[in-house]
Amino acid sequence: MTTQPATTEASEPPEDDLRTRSVAMHEDPRFLELRSRLLRFVVPMTIAFLAWYLLYVVMSAYARGVMSTQLVGNFNLALVFGLLQFVSTFGIAIAYSRFANRRFDPLADELREELENGGRDR
Amino acid sequence: MNVLAQGVSAESRLITVILFTVMIAVTLLITVWASRRVNSASDFHSGGRGFSGVQNGFAIGSDYMSAASFLGIAGTIALFGYDGFLYSIGFLVAWLVALLLVAELLRNSGRYTMADVLSYRMRQRPVRTAASVSTLTVSIFYLLAQMVGAGALIALLLGIQPGETYLGMSADTAKIAGIVVVGILMIVYVTFGGMTGTTWVQIIKAGMLMGGAALLTIMVLAVYKFDLAALMNDAADASGAGAAFLEPGQVYGREVVGDAWQTMINKLDLISLGLALVLGTAGLPHILIRFYTVPDAKTARKSVNWGIGLIGTFYLMTLVLGFGAAAMVGRDAIVEQNAAGNTAAPQLAEQVGAHFGGDFLAAVMLALIAAVAFAAILSTVAGLTIASSSSLAHDFYNNVLRKGQASERDEIRVAKFAAFGVGTIAIVLAVFAQNLNVAFLVALAFAIAASANLPTILLSLFWKRFNTNGALAGIYGGLIAAVGLVFFSPVVSGKTDADGNSLSLFPENIDFAWFPLENPALVSVPIGVLCAVIGTLTSRENDAVRFAELQVRALTGAGAEGASKH
Repeated sequence: MTTQPATTEASEPPEDDLRTRSVAMHEDPRFLELRSRLLRFVVPMTIAFLAWYLLYVVMSAYARGVMSTQLVGNFNLALVFGLLQFVSTFGIAIAYSRFANRRFDPLADELREELENGGRDR
Repeated sequence: MNVLAQGVSAESRLITVILFTVMIAVTLLITVWASRRVNSASDFHSGGRGFSGVQNGFAIGSDYMSAASFLGIAGTIALFGYDGFLYSIGFLVAWLVALLLVAELLRNSGRYTMADVLSYRMRQRPVRTAASVSTLTVSIFYLLAQMVGAGALIALLLGIQPGETYLGMSADTAKIAGIVVVGILMIVYVTFGGMTGTTWVQIIKAGMLMGGAALLTIMVLAVYKFDLAALMNDAADASGAGAAFLEPGQVYGREVVGDAWQTMINKLDLISLGLALVLGTAGLPHILIRFYTVPDAKTARKSVNWGIGLIGTFYLMTLVLGFGAAAMVGRDAIVEQNAAGNTAAPQLAEQVGAHFGGDFLAAVMLALIAAVAFAAILSTVAGLTIASSSSLAHDFYNNVLRKGQASERDEIRVAKFAAFGVGTIAIVLAVFAQNLNVAFLVALAFAIAASANLPTILLSLFWKRFNTNGALAGIYGGLIAAVGLVFFSPVVSGKTDADGNSLSLFPENIDFAWFPLENPALVSVPIGVLCAVIGTLTSRENDAVRFAELQVRALTGAGAEGASKH
């Protein structure tokens, strides 16, 4: 089946070149490395924070006895668990940004540069 | 001590009205300034993509921290303690889905709307139509909930009691006037200022909201000499619930003694709500289009980080405000004013002001927090209106009706017309719905976004086999499942209180509910995903070339549109 892309103007030659090069890039080992770096970070991390959040919600529903345990003064486990969700959210956001800056952006920039400027060299 | 329940003092009202007027004037000036800068479609839909990470981070926070979440979450914590906090956590964690999986890829591969990414490797017209239907449904439901709330809030913030008039308005007239004024303002912001004007209104609001909440939080803590444990003790004692006030279970997942079935349903409902909140955010169209207002994916990432920081800090402050209101205003005084607790934060402001500076500071603090709430209403509804208008103009008018051939001028003209149309419809619906219980619409909007939008966006970007049929089945399947299940749930019909009065949308004598959960996500998200998968596998279409192109663009940013230069 043919598709009619409307997001890109098929009549513009540079755009056409970029599209051809993008398709070719999909098999490039460097792109495969880029994609695998991203997925290796975000997939386990997403599963982890969703599981951690769902554990919190499920315990709030079904383990109220445990959640009401007083830890320090009137600070119970429910409150500490809730505050830990804030800590983990901030922590994961920071960890992701460090990962992206160090491991993802340099390679993505290199490939982008090559895709966008490749046309002018020819 | 004079709390809101005895009526708002004349000075406070005067200051409130002055602050409201100043805010309207400032936002209109911004709109006039922005209107001169809206020349291209990119300016209208995406503010020229020139906003910095910090600016867009504030605007993201602003879109998200509506008056409903500021006053609503503080009120829920004030009345029911821990459960309000539980609610806010879902809203926060959800941002990790947006950060890790959606924001940057969407920024790289789309231009103006969610549909740009969804339709990239699909047949344009049917997929854009479906995405537009979903965008409008989510945005209008959310908008309606905000507008109906806005009318009631403005009447409350001006402190108009039943049977009393102020500026010639009774409480009921003030409600309608509030809806109409908010509606007209949002139409003006969007029509003339486009995304540029809307974003600046949002940045200012986020600054006011954070500043106002921080000031109030510090004052509350100062009353307690920064002893959080003492504040929590007082809150729990004053609530009448004791230690249970600091534990989950007062509102969500309530245990009904002697009714094991209802207890089970209530607990499943809590999990279903949690799922909708955490998966819905990254599928809300008015949030997604914010990622297009920055020059590149790195800035989109930075803006989400700022958003997470602001939203997280804000919810932590809300916890203090909620406990503060429970301890210092007291449950009875809050409920007397508004049964849902929406006035807890303004009442607390008045109380704290009185503590430190007598009647005058009480009046100033009350007016200040009322003005913050008013700004919060205005900016969130403007964000929802521009999401609807962009989708109607860019997706439906240009790409479906005109097959992508419309000029930019035509697209902008239609977008402005669409903003006017959507705004007018929202005003009319909100006026008619003003006495209905429409608070469930916010949770429903999140459930639709989680069931119809998020799965199809992720499958588009990562599943090679995914195709037009799958996208259509996923969007319509998730949308129909979420809306349908809510329609046949207790929030629409058949729920009554102990005296037999209706707690549903319909009156008490109508009952066609058969789906027991009030939040559909637990069922509708799997239905949406399943529809997308089955729809894909039952169609032979499989465009591997366009998929390769989309994925390379989404990950590398090649060919992504940068900031416009002017």
